[in-house]
Amino acid sequence: MPAEKLKQNYSSQEKEHIFEHEFLPHIDSMYNFAYRLTFDEDDAKDLVQETYLKAFRFLNSFQQGTNAKAWLFRILKNSFINDFRKKSKQPPKVDYQEVETFYNSDNVDVSMTTDLRVETVQHMIGDEVSNALNALAVDFRTVIILCDLEGFTYEEMSKILDIPIGTVRSRLHRARNLLKEKLQAYAKSMGYNK
Amino acid sequence: MATNLFSWIKQNLFGQISCQRCIELLELITDGEASLEEEQQFRKHIDECLPCYETFNLEKSIKEMLQTKLEKKQVPDDLIQSIKKKIRNTA
Ligand SMILES: [Zn+2]
Repeated sequence: MPAEKLKQNYSSQEKEHIFEHEFLPHIDSMYNFAYRLTFDEDDAKDLVQETYLKAFRFLNSFQQGTNAKAWLFRILKNSFINDFRKKSKQPPKVDYQEVETFYNSDNVDVSMTTDLRVETVQHMIGDEVSNALNALAVDFRTVIILCDLEGFTYEEMSKILDIPIGTVRSRLHRARNLLKEKLQAYAKSMGYNK
Repeated sequence: MATNLFSWIKQNLFGQISCQRCIELLELITDGEASLEEEQQFRKHIDECLPCYETFNLEKSIKEMLQTKLEKKQVPDDLIQSIKKKIRNTA
């Protein structure tokens, strides 16, 4: 079988079936992802709608039975970067220089910079968690959402974000450390620790 | 060099890994991305090493917290209808 056979030729009935049974079931995750990117209900709605319209338009490049969720997330993330990021007020872009070299270096930083405790984490309420996550720059927020909330594998994330797996890992690692810092700062301000 | 050799022997002859290696594996384990061998080495290490065990618990609890405590937004009622309508109009 030649690997280049990429375009499908679905009948309109097949298209409708795929859309209904493989695409729409993910609308919950898609909407929540969109909302966590845009922080705005209307923008999230537009973004999800645009994603589904694109998915339908390009349905012939989707292979039935493959990973529809990852495919849809990839379209959503690209639409966000191309159309939405420009007009929304996002935190400044992160300098990845230091981040991306993390896993290329032999000296992994083993020291735990945080004295965050399990009990503290367990006592946090939804709003506190949400604020900590939302305070992260969008690229860091994104990897945590994809990995921890949506359960994508590193390989799927690599495809969704168009970055190598090593970069997925280093970005995720950095994102988690930043999240711990936010949680720790919050815990401190609330007098949770000590 | 001597310490490298030492840890190489420990890891390869006795299946023991260092704390540094353990921390490197931490995220692979919590994310379910480790190989069976890595998983076994990791489990063996945290059975015997309290600091690494605690670090692992923290990592796990943060992941659980994200999965259980973040409020899910309800998809707007009219969104699916509106998408379907737009598609029907373009088809
Ligand atoms: Zn250890």
